Amino acid sequence: MASTTTSQKPITTSDSKPEDPQQKPTAALEEDDEFEDFPVDDWEAEETEAAAGGTGTNTQHLWEESWDDDDTSDDFSNQLKEELKKVEAARKR
Amino acid sequence: MSLIQQFLSRIRVFACEANGQELKNWLLVENNVPDIYRNLGLELRQTHPPNTDSLEKTVDQLLPEEDNVPDGRGSPWPGFNSFIKDYLEYWRDVNFSDLVQLHTRLSDLLISCANALANPTYGVMLLQTSMSLSESLSKLVMGITRNPELLAQAEAAKSTGGGADESSERKSIVELAADIIQKFFTSCLTDRSSGRWETPKGKKVAVYLFANLTLKLLFTCDKSPLAAQMFTNLSTSGPALQLYPASQRVTFLYYLGRFNFDHAHYFRAHLCFEEAYRQCHVAALAHKRKILTYWIPCNMLFGRFPSQGLLGKQEAVGFGEIFVPICQAIRLGDFVRFYAAINSPLAKDFLWGKGFYLPFLYRLKNLVWRSFTRKTFILTWKGPSATIAPSLSFDDLLVAARFVQRQLEASSQSGNGLLMPSEGLIFGNKVPDMDDVESVVAGLLYAGLLNGFIARQQRKFVVEGTKKHGGVAVRAGWPGVCGAVMERFREQRNEALEALDAGEAVEAPGEENDVPGWVRNY
Repeated sequence: MASTTTSQKPITTSDSKPEDPQQKPTAALEEDDEFEDFPVDDWEAEETEAAAGGTGTNTQHLWEESWDDDDTSDDFSNQLKEELKKVEAARKR
Repeated sequence: MSLIQQFLSRIRVFACEANGQELKNWLLVENNVPDIYRNLGLELRQTHPPNTDSLEKTVDQLLPEEDNVPDGRGSPWPGFNSFIKDYLEYWRDVNFSDLVQLHTRLSDLLISCANALANPTYGVMLLQTSMSLSESLSKLVMGITRNPELLAQAEAAKSTGGGADESSERKSIVELAADIIQKFFTSCLTDRSSGRWETPKGKKVAVYLFANLTLKLLFTCDKSPLAAQMFTNLSTSGPALQLYPASQRVTFLYYLGRFNFDHAHYFRAHLCFEEAYRQCHVAALAHKRKILTYWIPCNMLFGRFPSQGLLGKQEAVGFGEIFVPICQAIRLGDFVRFYAAINSPLAKDFLWGKGFYLPFLYRLKNLVWRSFTRKTFILTWKGPSATIAPSLSFDDLLVAARFVQRQLEASSQSGNGLLMPSEGLIFGNKVPDMDDVESVVAGLLYAGLLNGFIARQQRKFVVEGTKKHGGVAVRAGWPGVCGAVMERFREQRNEALEALDAGEAVEAPGEENDVPGWVRNY
């Protein structure tokens, strides 16, 4: 009766060799939020992003923590400088 | 032999073999099944009409309880027979063109299945069936939720339903479905075949499968706060996540991260996303992208910007265009740029759609203020001086703030200088005054984003600790954001610990890296 469905994957841990779950990312930003089921159940530590994707145990390098900008030559800083000078001069008068 | 007899005799074989996989393969509920299921329904309508007990009798007769069952084999049990009877009734009465009625029938069938699964001896043979039925219900509910007309019908059908008690009337269909799936979850969680820290056995193997299914349903239907109880239950008695397959770990951590993000626990969310990303399969680009979608904003909210290395990754295509202009505006302390960056046509829809817009608007604005006060200090402080401590004059800050407010009005989206309350430096078109700048500085100080004190008489913010920073006042007064946020976080934890020591009735804070719901075996 259900012969057509006997090839379905079991839901618990599978020890079969994982297929390549290679997928293409979509460049569209309005994609939906659904976190699809993975095509394979389990994979080895060597196949993880941490090991094979170069992320490693420490993810510090993915982030920039010291981003303060001491440079005051940008347009906004120049305008601000002018304004402060102008008001300062007016105060002294 | 009739179809009913054939069907039940096969079910009996599988039950005696304790063959959960075959039971699942046979106990199908969706529309796309071989015709024989519809023929079975037809035969049931002819031979076992509703409102008689004939079906129950047939099932009990063809599925007798076995005596002396050897180890590794199984037997039908009363709960199982009751479920099979409900299953046959489902095929007798189902009408796939009426999704609302289908929803009611499938929900009832799942409750019956959950009751059967709860049997401590044989229940486990229904694990795969429970999973597949739960997936079907979840799919159906998500489909109904996406269709407002159907949703209204389903909600109405629920409230007029005869058997529904008052509490279920108040619950949405998503909540009811999540409740049902959580019955399976609880059954698996309380299974005693294996301990918390041992390789899962019996029903325990499916704890995170049901958790993830519930989470997927709740998040898809915007009901994520309802997941709180499940995380509490996992914290109390759940098995360690690391004992489960990678796909389940990554999926669970993704949802736990989103739950914490939605509740403004950005550091906890970061811990979840970080681990989900690290453990994700390297080739699963779509999954890594989903994780990054939340992980990047999460880090930005506590002052860590995505590096070029991260933005250059294949799974991060397009994220730079959204996030880099925002980071750049924060870096420069430039409010005009900041509002332009979050309101650009590309960014605004994306940020709104993902629920980032408001946290960005209200929380990142503080970081712009920090850079802005920092820049004003750099432009106005004439130090170093041996006698006067470095300080930022509120008069100067006020001049700068008023200048920026005029800039914002000149660049207003409305074109007539009128600002929305959220768009102004303080509040819409309010002209900043001394009290405003003082309270902004006080807020930054309280958050740990500035280091020093306010000298009210002299109307200035005085920087402390310059010596410790090699005489560089700006480094002393404006500590790195991420470090400062972490420091504040630790202080709050220490305060809670001290309060606990003093005998106050506060909740004990966990370890620094604890995330409730994430069961780790330290």
